Amino acid sequence: MTFLHPLVLLGLAAGAIPTLLHLLARHEPPDADFPALRYLTEAERRSAHRVRLRHLILLALRTALVLLIVLAAARPLLRTTAGGGHAPTALVVIFDNSPSAGAVVEGRPVLERLREVARGSVNAARPEDHLWLMLADGVARAGERSALLAVIDSAGVAPWRLDLGDAVTRAVQVISDDPLPNREVHVVSDLERSALGSARVEARGTLVLVLAGATLPAPNRGVGRAVVTDGQLAVNVLGTPGTDPGAVTVRLGSTVVTHALAGPGTTLTIPLPVEPPGWWQGDVTLEPDEFRADDQVPFVWHVARESDVHPASDVGPFVTAALAVLETRSGPVVRLGGLPGPGPSVLLPPLEPALVGELDRALAARGSSWRYGQSGSPGVLASRALAELGGVAVAQRYRLERSVSGSDSAILATVNGEPWLVRDGDLVLVGSRLDTAWTDLPRRVAFVPFVDALVNRLVRGETPVEWMEGRPRIEFRVRGLDTVGAKVYGLDPRVSDLTAATAEEARGLGGMVLPAAQFAAASFAGGRRADASGLLLALALVVAGAELGVATLGR
Amino acid sequence: MVATRIDLLDPWDVARLGGIEIVARGVVEGFLSGVHRSPFRGFSVEFTEHRAYQPGDELRYLDWRMLARSDRLFVKQFEEETNLRAMILIDVSRSMAWRGADARLTKRAYVDRLAAALALVLLRQRDATGLIAFDDAVRTVVSARVKGGQWARLVRAIVETPDGVGTAAEPALRQVTSLLTRRGLVVLMSDLLLDRRLTMTALQYLRHRGHHVIVCHVVDPAELELSGPAEVRFRDPESQATLVVRPRELARAYEATVARETIAWRSTCRRQRIAYHQVRTDLPFGLALRMLG
Repeated sequence: MTFLHPLVLLGLAAGAIPTLLHLLARHEPPDADFPALRYLTEAERRSAHRVRLRHLILLALRTALVLLIVLAAARPLLRTTAGGGHAPTALVVIFDNSPSAGAVVEGRPVLERLREVARGSVNAARPEDHLWLMLADGVARAGERSALLAVIDSAGVAPWRLDLGDAVTRAVQVISDDPLPNREVHVVSDLERSALGSARVEARGTLVLVLAGATLPAPNRGVGRAVVTDGQLAVNVLGTPGTDPGAVTVRLGSTVVTHALAGPGTTLTIPLPVEPPGWWQGDVTLEPDEFRADDQVPFVWHVARESDVHPASDVGPFVTAALAVLETRSGPVVRLGGLPGPGPSVLLPPLEPALVGELDRALAARGSSWRYGQSGSPGVLASRALAELGGVAVAQRYRLERSVSGSDSAILATVNGEPWLVRDGDLVLVGSRLDTAWTDLPRRVAFVPFVDALVNRLVRGETPVEWMEGRPRIEFRVRGLDTVGAKVYGLDPRVSDLTAATAEEARGLGGMVLPAAQFAAASFAGGRRADASGLLLALALVVAGAELGVATLGR
Repeated sequence: MVATRIDLLDPWDVARLGGIEIVARGVVEGFLSGVHRSPFRGFSVEFTEHRAYQPGDELRYLDWRMLARSDRLFVKQFEEETNLRAMILIDVSRSMAWRGADARLTKRAYVDRLAAALALVLLRQRDATGLIAFDDAVRTVVSARVKGGQWARLVRAIVETPDGVGTAAEPALRQVTSLLTRRGLVVLMSDLLLDRRLTMTALQYLRHRGHHVIVCHVVDPAELELSGPAEVRFRDPESQATLVVRPRELARAYEATVARETIAWRSTCRRQRIAYHQVRTDLPFGLALRMLG
């Protein structure tokens, strides 16, 4: 017998309540004179045995009533027939081949152990069953048994983290409309705590079996993201809390920059050598452990030549001050404000509304697919590319409108969902003048970095370094002969924490957590197991009736 | 008029009409208006007249001498003696000063009024009537007389006898037997919360001395059916013994015990040719008097 909610069994302690009430709720009864006490004593003597027996029966019945209700709430599953086949079942096998499955335990990869169990679940299926297989990519693949076995056999360690809570929820949704009467989800995972997510799964009508976690190499160190800012490399060292520090090596190409000692939860800040303009890359490496996938991450940064900025006369005092701070050099010529020139230009709306038409004509002459439109409503800035702009208030602005469909343009920031900052080739259009009468941006710390990004990066078509989840590597974006951006791929930092989930945490997935030996036996139990809670509740009803009868008829 | 028959009203309502004298007198007036002759036929009777024999008359009352002389069948008719000696014994022990409900007389109060009424009935028949009050000892003795003012003396004795403090009445009963030397009628009014064997020994002695004994077993209705809160500590006012019980749990066994005890008293009395009557304290006095008659 197994229980769907075994924790409820703790409530069996409530069976002591009737006894405790009997012992603790005794009170001093009121006094009353009664002359015929001799008759009462005689009656009490004659019926003492019966009364004591009745009390014992009542106590037993009340205790049994509490125990039956608690047992029913724990949802016991009873095996109804022995062995043999099973009723047609819709089954989703979640085969968690996320990076932590690549850890080696006792000389054997965790993935191989999980593969065996996943194969066992699919192998036990019969032709009339409906099967799906979900890997770490979260895609539920329907297929025949043989096809899914082939997928399991060929699956390696994936570079994506799988949120098991989301995966089980999706799996339950996938089979919720299946016509087969029995539905099961088998979760075959190493059950690291960070994979569970926070949501508790409601698997109504679906039996969820969770493979109890394997012994993970919990002491683990990993490298999180490595980001270069202002010539300094920031490295997050992650892993299982409490793991001893390990040696960290930073390389540029094949040159070792530095060695350091760091443990999980620390951030290393390492100054990088001054390099000439261009794209530079390196990697951060930890000394090897049983989980190798997170021991090395690449990083990349761009050393740009500062633009030679030619501001228009009416750009205003804030832009002028920012350019003074940036100390613009003799790089590519960039025009700022006024009408667009032949090269890269950052455009601001004119002070006089009457001049907007002239600016739009100049944009059209440059072949721009964007133009300045009517005044827009005030609002707040939102931007993915420039996160520091988020939440900045905009009081005045012009709508940026696409005049013709262009291919090489990107919306970099919006106000009220309408474009506010647009890059169109080597033109960048700003919806507001960079003045406090138009926007709060000049008051913000982010203003100078924003102007820097405008004139040195955005207008030259460069995009910031992006981070993506995937196999650790670097991909560069090129336009023509120029490299304009890079994507750094790496593992989700959470996979480095190999702390195993507790059984209680695992039960948050909405099912029974079983070791491998029982996992197979419990599979396809829909047709072989019956929920005994109804029977127990009926029994509880009978006991309640008996209690009522003894309590009233015995008086 | 039924409305004027206060002897048939609820004793609690009747008792609120006035003192014992008023209540007893009113009860007796009502009681006597409902009967044509005294219900208390004495054991010592005297001949009054002859009447012609009718089929069904008992042959033992046939006047054989008249038959021999006149060859005619006459039967003798008798009248109770006017000098019957009646002694009313009332139990004033502590258990008698109890009632099971606010709107009910205590057993003692009921017995006081019933005894006063009974004495009045007897005295009106010119029967010498006396009173003995006892608990664990004889507390009050009024000798049986028939002279004027006797009823007032009896009532005063009843009123002036306080509720007893004693607990065991059996010694007093033995003492009473020594006070009753002349044959007569003995009416014992008690709740009989006594040792049955010792009590019956005393009453049996009275019977052997030629007394006609009537036992009036006074009970409060609450003593017949057990009730009360879920759990209660009952205390015997006489012995101060206590017992914690759940009345609803013990009610059936208690009622069976009371019934058993009642039957035991009744059967024991019958064997000794002692009249036994159980009187509830909510029984109208007139009905109680008729029962005793």
